[in-house]
Amino acid sequence: MTADNQDDACTLLLGRVAAGERGALAELFKIEAGRLVAVARRIVRRADLAEEAVQEAFVTIWRKATLFDPGRGSGRVWMTTIVRNRALNMIRDGQRMEFVEPQTLAALGDAGGEADLAYEALPAASDLRRCLDQLEPVRRRSIVLAYVGGFTHGEIAGRLKAPIGTVKAWIRRGVIALQECMS
Amino acid sequence: MSREERMARAGDYVLGLMDEKERTRAERDMEIDAEFRDCVIHLAERFHAFDKDVAPAEVPGDMWQTVAARIADMPQMTAADIARERLDLTTLQAPDPSRKGILQLKRPYAHQFAGWRGGLIAACLIGALGVGYLSGQAMGPAPEPVVVVVLADEDNAPGAFVEAYGNDAVRIVPLVDFEVPQGKTLEVWTLYDRDVGPVSLGTFGRSTEITLQGPDQPMPQPQQLYEITLEDAPGSPVGRPTGPILVKGLAVRPPR
Repeated sequence: MTADNQDDACTLLLGRVAAGERGALAELFKIEAGRLVAVARRIVRRADLAEEAVQEAFVTIWRKATLFDPGRGSGRVWMTTIVRNRALNMIRDGQRMEFVEPQTLAALGDAGGEADLAYEALPAASDLRRCLDQLEPVRRRSIVLAYVGGFTHGEIAGRLKAPIGTVKAWIRRGVIALQECMS
Repeated sequence: MSREERMARAGDYVLGLMDEKERTRAERDMEIDAEFRDCVIHLAERFHAFDKDVAPAEVPGDMWQTVAARIADMPQMTAADIARERLDLTTLQAPDPSRKGILQLKRPYAHQFAGWRGGLIAACLIGALGVGYLSGQAMGPAPEPVVVVVLADEDNAPGAFVEAYGNDAVRIVPLVDFEVPQGKTLEVWTLYDRDVGPVSLGTFGRSTEITLQGPDQPMPQPQQLYEITLEDAPGSPVGRPTGPILVKGLAVRPPR
């Protein structure tokens, strides 16, 4: 199934979930859970936490399906946003700090590497890739670390050895330039 | 919000750099600010390039069963529930008609509300709703409001109470003393149709109770958004909110 078809399928299924059909949620789970766990895992760094984030997200999707408005974008993006926000809440609540052990620190290190890989994996023809390529490397890296790895301004500052204020300015200028480029 | 500010804020939202409070606020703003919403949606769709082709992770076999068990008896939220959650005024209840005649508060209620939070706010609001709503009846010719609205600030503290009537009029009861600097004015807006955008119901210069006659518009509906912004006097020059939102809220229909 191509991504576009998958988009349409998700959007249709979400409409049925909004109408109270639990079976439609089961179908959504079947086709999207694996991808969503992978997205969450890039942020929370642990399989069990990623699964928990996605499980919670599906409960939220069930409860809030009426909020989804197909006129305002794709169902996949909507679900991904819910998963991302859930995963971000988990690490912002300090869970990332609670399991800082040697192997986890290494995993956090991997998160940076994974952000690079995600960037490299972007199709060269995509607007996002084309416009990210035009940014100064520090700005690009800050933005990719924030989105893919769920890093905070402070964490990015630590990794890139730059003051927080500088990182904030990089990201601000960077996302504005990105949107100008992609519009 | 300037164009740059809007793009920067959409960036913070999509990148996940907001804390929970900022995010809730951004999500509320998306409901009333079509430009900001479009900006966020557009950016999120583009960044989805990072997520849409990710190699799926393994999903434990019992995971769906856990989800299914959790939603088995879980009702879905209605649009009204969601709006209420956004406002975080979940303790707010409709006015209790039995309160009639018990509360004889004088308006404005600013001093009654200063610093009150949580359940106390709810109790006050029930009082305010009851009194406002019922005194509207007591004044004789004034019709019953079609909807009533508690407008809250970004910390969810109530700042104004609005009754909207079927004849395009609204009665505003400030609950706090809004600071209106020289050359500025308070402007009341409602959003009855996202495609139409916010419609001005009128302006007022001081934090006192006032009834404004708005332009011709559809009958006010529950969940319709009302807000008060601070604009340059004599009012927004472009017919849309340009100044900071002081308070906003979603309408509820009082029980008859």
